[in-house]
Amino acid sequence: MVEVTGLGKSFGSRRVLDEVSFSVRPGELVGLLGPNGAGKTTTLSILATVLNPDQGEVTIAGLDLATQRAAIRARLGLVPQSLALYPTLTARENLLLFARLRGATAREARRTCAEVLDEVGLTEHAQRTVGLLSGGMKRRLNLACALVHRPQVLLLDEPTVGVDPQSRERILSIIKELGQNGTAVLYCTHYMDEVERVCSRVVLIDHGRVVASGTTAELVGLAGARPRIELYFQSPPPRNWYLGLPEVSELTPAPSRNHSVLEFDSLPRVQELLNRAQAVGSVLEFTVHSPNLSDAFMALTGHQLRDEHESG
Amino acid sequence: MIWRTTRLILVNEFRLLLHDHAALFMMFLAPVAIIAVAGFSLGNLYGVHPDRGGYLVALLDQDHGVVASTIRGALSHSPGIRVRPVASLAQARQLIINDERAPLALVIPAGTSATFAAGGKPAIELYIDPLKRLQAAAIQAQLAQIGRNLQIAAQARAQHQIDLRSAALRRRLEQLTADARATSIRADAYVRELKAAQKQARRRAQGAIRLQLSAVRTQTQTAIDRSVAQIKNTLASELSARQGAIDALTQYLRALQRSQAQFQSWLDRLKQLAGSHAGQIPPPPIWPAAPNAAQLAILSAPMKVPINAPVLPSVDDSFKLPVPHVKMPSPPPQAPALSDLVPANATLPGTVGWDTRPLISGLQVNSFDQYVPGFGITFLLIDMLWGVGVGLIDEREWGTLQRLRAGGAPVTGLMLGKLSARLLIGTFQMAVLFAVGRLLFGISLGHNPAMLLMPAAAIAFAAGAFGLLIACVARSRDAVLPIGSVAAMAMSAIGGCWWPLGFEPAWMRAVAMWMPTTWTMRAFNDLMIRGLPAPSALVPSAFTFALGLGYLIIGLLGAVRFYD
Repeated sequence: MVEVTGLGKSFGSRRVLDEVSFSVRPGELVGLLGPNGAGKTTTLSILATVLNPDQGEVTIAGLDLATQRAAIRARLGLVPQSLALYPTLTARENLLLFARLRGATAREARRTCAEVLDEVGLTEHAQRTVGLLSGGMKRRLNLACALVHRPQVLLLDEPTVGVDPQSRERILSIIKELGQNGTAVLYCTHYMDEVERVCSRVVLIDHGRVVASGTTAELVGLAGARPRIELYFQSPPPRNWYLGLPEVSELTPAPSRNHSVLEFDSLPRVQELLNRAQAVGSVLEFTVHSPNLSDAFMALTGHQLRDEHESG
Repeated sequence: MIWRTTRLILVNEFRLLLHDHAALFMMFLAPVAIIAVAGFSLGNLYGVHPDRGGYLVALLDQDHGVVASTIRGALSHSPGIRVRPVASLAQARQLIINDERAPLALVIPAGTSATFAAGGKPAIELYIDPLKRLQAAAIQAQLAQIGRNLQIAAQARAQHQIDLRSAALRRRLEQLTADARATSIRADAYVRELKAAQKQARRRAQGAIRLQLSAVRTQTQTAIDRSVAQIKNTLASELSARQGAIDALTQYLRALQRSQAQFQSWLDRLKQLAGSHAGQIPPPPIWPAAPNAAQLAILSAPMKVPINAPVLPSVDDSFKLPVPHVKMPSPPPQAPALSDLVPANATLPGTVGWDTRPLISGLQVNSFDQYVPGFGITFLLIDMLWGVGVGLIDEREWGTLQRLRAGGAPVTGLMLGKLSARLLIGTFQMAVLFAVGRLLFGISLGHNPAMLLMPAAAIAFAAGAFGLLIACVARSRDAVLPIGSVAAMAMSAIGGCWWPLGFEPAWMRAVAMWMPTTWTMRAFNDLMIRGLPAPSALVPSAFTFALGLGYLIIGLLGAVRFYD
């Protein structure tokens, strides 16, 4: 449904995208994951036909972005990172405007808006001014505005920023449902847990380049990340107390003598580690950390996903 | 797509505006408040003060005549002016110095009324506080008006007398004119009848003369013919007698010729025969006798042909030309005595020092006539700055612009939609301000109030395009407001929105020619204050529109580059 090949974009002398390639199939939810400034929003803007690429090819629903922009726009829904809503209009008025601009007749727009409001759970708030809605409601409305024309491809740019857990769950649920209904979804975020929950595939992007892509498990495997356990003792344990246990090593120097951070090969070894710890001292608390996308990202890029970069 | 986008954005702009209470306040209530403040504050510049507790005028009346009483009465009834009679010039000076409300003293010298009535030019003295010259100017304008009214009243009285006499004279002249017209008509008829009779007489006389001449000609011809016949007979007998003589003479001559020939032959023979004796030959024979003298005399005698004068017919002396009968009209009435028509002399009042008149009569200048359109335009510019300039940047920051663009809405369509909405809103805003100005401040709407919509629409268009231009130049909310506000204020001030353009120096007026505010104010001033007819607004509105079009083109180019 979406094929991106060798996409490149510069702003002045700054290279924002460099040879970015990925694809999204119908019904597939692909996460575009990267820190701020990695090039996610630029990629989405190009796919949404708002920006022109300097190089590369993009086809959406079999249509060439360079020559068939109007046809692509008709098949595309964009949920921008900012709340692209008129704050002084009501939820319903916002939806009606975007539906009409998408070519719907007044009757079609009313019908579609009612459906979409119901889907995002805002029917009761349809007549409320957007400025008076909660952050979560605004985010849901932001999503709804992208659905009024029933797009085949949905581009989401940080759709859950600043929302309450309920709204977040609702939004993620809607996105999943869209995927199940055959919509190709490209989900840009730096919330790894959302990607892990929603997306079947992930494209890791950093400094405008695709670092890796695949399922979460594939990426974690690719990064070679291993589970960790953090243990807090009542009193300092003996030095190298874990020696003798296979595939266990201390990951980083502990912040205190009562604290140990160990890396091991697989989760079944947790019980063995805990038994050894209890044997050498009194364990007050422990935390087991299974390797995730963040670990994979860090392993692949050398820095945290939430590094502060300029927006991009 | 572009028109659909334009239409939908236009409607959406109205919807956004209705939800934006601050913008509505800025559009309608704020300008009214500012207009009220400015109008009331600067009302005296135009000689109008809304309340009656205004300026104080010290009046020293040494005349005690009709001129003084008229001035005092008129000043007392002037809005914003109160009269304080004083006993001396010193008291007047004291009042002016001590009272901030008193900018001048008025001294009416003794004899002013008499001088004025006698046709002179009395001098009324004004003592002006130099610190209050601006306030004094407003009162001076009213004093000038009072002076004019005084003279006008006196002239009106004199004119009334003249009018009465003129009316009587006019009636007499009208009667005379009517009489003359009737006489003229009768004379014309008389001339026509005379001409007809003359024509008829000429025709009859010519006929009679022709008949008479024909008869005389016939008789004369007959007499002549008879006389000629007699002459012919006489001539024939005379010729016959002469013919006989001629015949005899002819025979003689022929015989003579023959005898001469014979004689010659004979003589020649004789001489031949005589030879030497030829000399002895006797004389030749005698010739036949020639006709006698009497006979020859007949030939040479004058022919006696009795030519008698023909007996001409006698002319009928009784012949008389027929004379047509014409009825002569009665002569026109006698001309009236001109001495009755000379009007009597009338005494005219004194002269005035100046004579200024309004350009177009019937409209009273009101400070609000300047401030309602002026501040209306200022707020229109600012509102457009908010509505178009800031609105565009807001949309970009909200992300709605990106969403609209992703939806396929062309930037040009978005801009045109916004501008179209603002054009209608701006025109409506101006219409509301004019209506409020009319209701609250009694401003003039000119002779054709609907025509005010044309410059209003033109400036709304230009202001919207100006907002777009600023949004493309400034490119951020923080920049649009200061840059746009300064530009809007400067355009308003230089364009004559806050004060008449004539207050400005020449270079500033030259700059003002390139601002739509100038042309719009000119159109409003022409329609509202000068009371010019509707077409007077066409050219200024066209200039405003043209400047707006320039802004629009630059703005659209910038918008396509910056927002697309």
